[in-house]
Amino acid sequence: MGKMWTILKIMVKMQLSMAGKSNSEKAGYGFLFVFMIPFGILILYTLNTMIGTLYTNLSPTGNENVILGLLFVFITFIFIFVSLSTVLSSFYFAEDVESFIALPFHPYQIVIGKSAIPFLSLYGINTILLLPSLVFYGIHSESGLLYYLFAIIIWLITPVLPFVATAIVVMFIMRFANISKNKDRTKVIVGLLGFAFAIGINVLLRLDSEGSNGAGMTELITEQNALLSLVTKFFPNAYLSSITLTDPNSITGLSFLLLLLGVAVLSIILFMTVGQQWYFKGVLGLSGGKRSTFKGTDLTKQTKKKSLLYSLWQKEIKTILRTPTFFTQIVVQSLFFPLFIVIILLLEGNGSLSDMATMINGWADKTKLLTLFAFTIIGLGINPASFSSISRDGKSWFNHLYLPITPNTVIMSKLLVSFFLNGLSLIILSVVVLFFLNVPWGIWSLWFIASLCVSWVTSIIGLLLDLYQPKMNWTDEREVFKGRMIGLFAIGIDVIVFGVLLVILWFAPIFSNTASTSLFLFSYLLICVGIGQWYLRKMTKDKYTSVI
Amino acid sequence: MIELINVTKNYPGKTAVQDLSLTIPDGKIFGFLGPNGAGKSTTIKMMTGILPIDEGTIMVNGKDMKKDTLSAKRIIGYVPDRSDIFLRLKGIEYLNFIADVYDVPKEVRETKITELTKKFGIYEALDDHIQTYSHGMKQKIVVSGVLLHDPDIWILDEPLTGLDPKSSYTLKEMMREHANKGKIVFFSTHVLEVVEQLCDEVAIINHGQIQFQGNMADMKQQYQENDNLERLFLELTQNG
Ligand SMILES: Nc1ncnc2c1ncn2[C@@H]1O[C@H](COP(=O)(O)OP(=O)(O)OP(=O)(O)O)[C@@H](O)[C@H]1O
Ligand SMILES: [Mg+2]
Repeated sequence: MGKMWTILKIMVKMQLSMAGKSNSEKAGYGFLFVFMIPFGILILYTLNTMIGTLYTNLSPTGNENVILGLLFVFITFIFIFVSLSTVLSSFYFAEDVESFIALPFHPYQIVIGKSAIPFLSLYGINTILLLPSLVFYGIHSESGLLYYLFAIIIWLITPVLPFVATAIVVMFIMRFANISKNKDRTKVIVGLLGFAFAIGINVLLRLDSEGSNGAGMTELITEQNALLSLVTKFFPNAYLSSITLTDPNSITGLSFLLLLLGVAVLSIILFMTVGQQWYFKGVLGLSGGKRSTFKGTDLTKQTKKKSLLYSLWQKEIKTILRTPTFFTQIVVQSLFFPLFIVIILLLEGNGSLSDMATMINGWADKTKLLTLFAFTIIGLGINPASFSSISRDGKSWFNHLYLPITPNTVIMSKLLVSFFLNGLSLIILSVVVLFFLNVPWGIWSLWFIASLCVSWVTSIIGLLLDLYQPKMNWTDEREVFKGRMIGLFAIGIDVIVFGVLLVILWFAPIFSNTASTSLFLFSYLLICVGIGQWYLRKMTKDKYTSVI
Repeated sequence: MIELINVTKNYPGKTAVQDLSLTIPDGKIFGFLGPNGAGKSTTIKMMTGILPIDEGTIMVNGKDMKKDTLSAKRIIGYVPDRSDIFLRLKGIEYLNFIADVYDVPKEVRETKITELTKKFGIYEALDDHIQTYSHGMKQKIVVSGVLLHDPDIWILDEPLTGLDPKSSYTLKEMMREHANKGKIVFFSTHVLEVVEQLCDEVAIINHGQIQFQGNMADMKQQYQENDNLERLFLELTQNG
């Protein structure tokens, strides 16, 4: 027990330590916290309204426990989703894994230590979402003291089962599936799984909502608990929790609570046993990359002469494609939005798609253009390639400094990378716009050129932010994206810059037709590009050599 | 010729190099000695353009590193003390990238890459990602990159650490050849035998200041009572 405590303390300290963080970074966290308060209030308000409305609608038929059921199912989903990535990164991909294995600890002790941070993050979510929801439910249902007591216990044990289940599945896969032999490939697969999961849920929700508005609904509601068992079919812990909380005073309530507690304790024991058996075997199989023997057959092709800018650009693209974290965070992420739209549109079936096309074609050209444009801004605003431009290099950045390359060339190559990746999204979106929504070619070309400008500007904004405060001293690539507010700042600036433009175009009466609208649109965009370019040059001069 | 004139470098709260002047003549292997933290790497980083020079001037074959940065960098080949190069590239891609950067003609690339990497025994690993290389292999690919563009001036920060005896011998031979052609080889090291065996001239740095500069014979003569270099080195760097 003593040893386990030691390892837990070390792990938590290493992760949460503020040492090595600059003052401005600390200020950033403070700022973020203040920034989140209104959001938090908004979320709480929404939760409260939702629970209140559902309660008034469902309690007459005695189905109010569905609210709790849904709540627990929802939170379990989130926990599984979050655990999947945190468990993998903490158990298997973190750089410190090897140094801990060398120490004289039992596997289960290391596994428990490694769980500390993933578990703490689950409790963070738990406190933000589940706790207030349970309180709101209690208020609406005018529950007694016992309810709140049980609620707190349930709040405490809810993360246990989803976490343990996910961790066991992950350890099983890493132990027995072949993917664990290659760390890089595993990272890509896991990254893709996350997105597949998101799309899958969306599809499920859609399919479900289509079937549920029929006569079956009324039938279901007439029978108490039937709706609840439907909702919680696959999540027994959600079922038990909601029954306990709807009937805290009954024998069933109490026994279900005890059952839940028992399950939690048992699953922790199971988790430790599985960890003891499987953890080391999975970790030790992980290795870097493949080795081969160079024969020199393609040497002529491989030594082709390229221009400096192209050579730099190619180096960046190769790095992004070959680094699993960069690949999932940058390429998959930026293609996710347009692909997501395509998939949703395809699933919608022909009927609603052509409905949408007819609706859009009924709009004035200006409305079409602006709507498409607004849509693109959201899509291109999430531009991880740009705000990781400098940080991606990490400790190898200094190589740019002694090579005879001008700072502006290096920066330009980085800018072109995010511009290029945005270009891929724009091409996918173009297919949607042209062939699914039947937007005329004229409007499309205006939109496309405007989008290219937006892409250039958002790329500059991200790059500027990264240049201003890069994160160079990472040991795992995830640090380039994790725990930095830079993405939020980038979107914030994008929204301000282009939001102003949209508001002007939308509401100012002079911009009533397409011609004047496009004229203003392009002048504004060109000015943005100009200012961005100028500022980038200035910033490059000031900051380039002081990046370490 | 490389000239450092009254060069100073401050890190926040610490002066790493102070008012340092040094002249490195052509055709010599120049050894740069000093205890850990003396300021060797810092000096070298200023000479190669990695660190901005706070005060003073560095002239590389008549080109000012501050004003004529690009042309100065072009004539330097630098082997850093750490091997954090572009890890995700393959060996061959790295070398071709370097060739692109320094405008190495297409005809030269193929033959030179083959020749150099075979000499260092990393030819067969050229198709692997640098990430999978051992420390010594990374060192060798960087050295190959430097030799590929054949610069006038070599600046090497502890180039022999991590190399196996054979590669170390090869590199030392190459350094000798380069200096014999009338070019400059400037390198830092801790290994005194290497200095004794290889260097034409040495400078000893401690606490960011030059303690001694001259050729090996001078040094021995000036400190006649010291029959071995190690004791001399210890004496020169113990105070201050
Ligand atoms: N990035 C930095 N920030 C602050 N101080 C630094 C930094 N890099 C080096 N120093 C300090 O500057 C001094 C000189 O360091 P330098 O790396 O030049 O030494 P060195 O002679 O190369 O040592 P070694 O033989 O260990 O390589 C040291 O005192 C070191 O602490
Ligand atoms: Mg050093």
